[in-house]
Amino acid sequence: MSISRRNVIRSGMAAGVFAPMIGRANAAPGDASTLRGVMQGDLRSFDPVWTTANISAYYGAMVYDTLFAVDVDYKSKPQMVDKWNLSDDKKTYTFQLRDGLTWQDNTPVTAADCVASIRRWGVRNGGGQAIMARLQDLSAKDDKTFVLTLKEPFGLVITALSSCTTPLCFMMPKKDAETDPFQQVSGRIGSGPFTFNQTLTQPGSRYVFDKWDKYMPRSEPASGLAGGKVVHLKQVIWENISNEQTASAALTAGEIDFYELPPLDLLPQLSSNSDIKLMVMNPTGNDGIMRLNTLHPPFDNVKARQAMLYLIDQKAILNATFGNPKYYNPTSSLFGYGTPMTNDANTGWFKQAPDLAKAKQLFQDSGYKGEKVLVLQATDFAFMNNSAQLIAGWLQSIGVNAELAAMNRGEVITRRANMKPVDQGGWDVFITYGGGYDFSDPIMLISLAANGKKGWFGWPENTDYEALRTQWGEAGTVAEQQAIAQKMQALAWDFVPMVMLGSWTQPAAMRTNVNGFLTNPDVVPFWNVTKT
Amino acid sequence: MGAYLARRLLATLVVMAVVGVIVFLLLHLAPGSPAAIIAGDNATPAQIDMINHELGLDRPLPVQFVLWAWSVLRGHFGTSIFSGAPVMELVLERLPATISLSLVTIAFAATTAVIAGVFAAWRAGGVLDRTLMAVAALGFSVPVFVVGYLLIYLFAITLHWLPVQGYQPLSRGLWPWLSHLLLPALALGLAYLALIARITRASVLEVLAEDYIRTARAKGASSLSQLFHHALRNAGVPIATVIGIGVALLISGVVLTETVFNIPGIGRLTVDAITNRDYPIIQGVMVIFSGAYVVINLLVDLSYTLIDPRIRR
Repeated sequence: MSISRRNVIRSGMAAGVFAPMIGRANAAPGDASTLRGVMQGDLRSFDPVWTTANISAYYGAMVYDTLFAVDVDYKSKPQMVDKWNLSDDKKTYTFQLRDGLTWQDNTPVTAADCVASIRRWGVRNGGGQAIMARLQDLSAKDDKTFVLTLKEPFGLVITALSSCTTPLCFMMPKKDAETDPFQQVSGRIGSGPFTFNQTLTQPGSRYVFDKWDKYMPRSEPASGLAGGKVVHLKQVIWENISNEQTASAALTAGEIDFYELPPLDLLPQLSSNSDIKLMVMNPTGNDGIMRLNTLHPPFDNVKARQAMLYLIDQKAILNATFGNPKYYNPTSSLFGYGTPMTNDANTGWFKQAPDLAKAKQLFQDSGYKGEKVLVLQATDFAFMNNSAQLIAGWLQSIGVNAELAAMNRGEVITRRANMKPVDQGGWDVFITYGGGYDFSDPIMLISLAANGKKGWFGWPENTDYEALRTQWGEAGTVAEQQAIAQKMQALAWDFVPMVMLGSWTQPAAMRTNVNGFLTNPDVVPFWNVTKT
Repeated sequence: MGAYLARRLLATLVVMAVVGVIVFLLLHLAPGSPAAIIAGDNATPAQIDMINHELGLDRPLPVQFVLWAWSVLRGHFGTSIFSGAPVMELVLERLPATISLSLVTIAFAATTAVIAGVFAAWRAGGVLDRTLMAVAALGFSVPVFVVGYLLIYLFAITLHWLPVQGYQPLSRGLWPWLSHLLLPALALGLAYLALIARITRASVLEVLAEDYIRTARAKGASSLSQLFHHALRNAGVPIATVIGIGVALLISGVVLTETVFNIPGIGRLTVDAITNRDYPIIQGVMVIFSGAYVVINLLVDLSYTLIDPRIRR
């Protein structure tokens, strides 16, 4: 055959005819019994008690169950527990498990399993540690009953057991629960509504969960993490697609059904697709905070810390990252936006801020001598990156010698632990955020402590505040806690343990044929979900 | 030949050792800590210290290096800090996807580029030549993620011909396997296509001016025979070199492509490990791939003797 222009054109046309015959090779949307989702990150650890990573808590909620759980109104409800009571002296809790609870290896769930699980969780969780510090005895009475006895009353036992602040108090078989709390469990057996399918799972790529047919849901309707966990799907697959554009394209093409955290800048594009809907799954969202190193100048002086309250323009910070005011709110409360403990005590600064002249005056009053103020800038997290740049700019505008230290989040996490001055590898300011729901609990959220060097990074110290925090933990009712929270906040905005940077939510995107997702802070439940 | 091979294989070991030392030092001297990531945002410094101790990361650096090197010498590349799985197991698990992507990419790039390069040389200076070389220049200039997203938009979202992302093993069937690799191979292969096409064009152009081509034409050889039987074979050595370089470069190229197309290969394993500071995985992958890099170069050198028997002499 000779080569001619005509032959080349003929070949090209043949290829053009052949191409559509390739057919629609893209993955079929899948049958209605399988849901494919892209979650917030890769599932790196299969031990939801060992790590605080939210994605591991999601895994935990699939495979394991909890003794208590919070409903949509953040009220604690029994889950694996059938009945429980508290002695008159408020020191002895007796728990009885529900009938028919079974591990996924078909052995019964026993009180001894629960005792071992609580003990292990008690080492890893802030609330658990508070219980363990007061614990006199925790032991099984019979196969279904166990007793927790405290040395002194502590009003947060049920709250802690039901909390969805990571790590949650998941029940594990005794042999797993007896693992060193600082080592990961090797077992993957729980008593939750899904089993973990290790055969189909490809770590780093895909995680597969099958409906566990022997799971016995409670009779109450599902609400938050509480109520009947009725599973309508046969299989749930978490596809680990790290690239946001690719995940959005996969949702648009119907290759996945659910995308937990699409970036906000892609929301207009996704919501314009009639096959996709948006839903805010975690109404309490996240709260941004700025931590100040109280061990060294200038922030060892309370005036300099107060200056930071007046310096910050929360709207500018939130707008820089989240753009759409529909998804963010400035926050004046130490307890975050819209939590049961949110209040407006001592928030005059909030109505005034930003007030750069006042901030400058306070810095001068603090005796600031032009020391370098090092702001850690986590460049790989948009919120932290943008906030750091704005804050450094505002500081410079009032004459503070602020300097940005650009690094990745991992480096910030490492560096913030350094208690030394800036010239010895320390820091002055870093930005982070936490789940909004967590801000309602000053016992479990360690950043709400002010216990000095024993506490969280920045190491603020105030004994009066700590006394109130202890009182809060011992309060018997939510109303009492709210009253104490007001006092804590009034005090806090005087000594300024940290600065709030605002609150935001991020909607999930899903195909319109997916329904039944429950709103809930910190965990995405896959029971109650249907796909048509 | 035997001595030559032995020398090259010895060099491979030396390269792997040097890479091992450099990677270990770079990783451990860089800021960031897996313990802080494991402990989570709410951890106290004391908790982070405890995890560092559990992982052995609080030991002196030389001690950590000796322990790791001794383990590697015994064939153990360690276990992932996060998943607890052996590094070699993770690498072997991810290898099929990366090899599949590399094979399809290089097959696409090499065949298309060689044909395009030969045609361009055949019509040097003409419309076909200019068009092919313009496409080649474009392929070389546009980043893989831009090409990737454009391909996804066109072939997956608009035309629905091919999937957006993912990987299916060959055991699930030829078409499911190939359909998931076509777009990434196209995106990744364009740069190599451009490189190989330009080298092919230049080499064939040089050979086409030789007397024996004119002789072949005078003897009535067809255009195809002149180009592919006489010219291409004699232009083969530089083309083999550049294909070899392309194969070696693919090791770095797959990292981005696997991320864009969500292919669970070695590239994504490495990126995830770097993000998490999963030292054993990063160190293991780097050492293994430095060895692979040297072996590929050796194979390219050996291929010269097959293409051009004169080199054997």
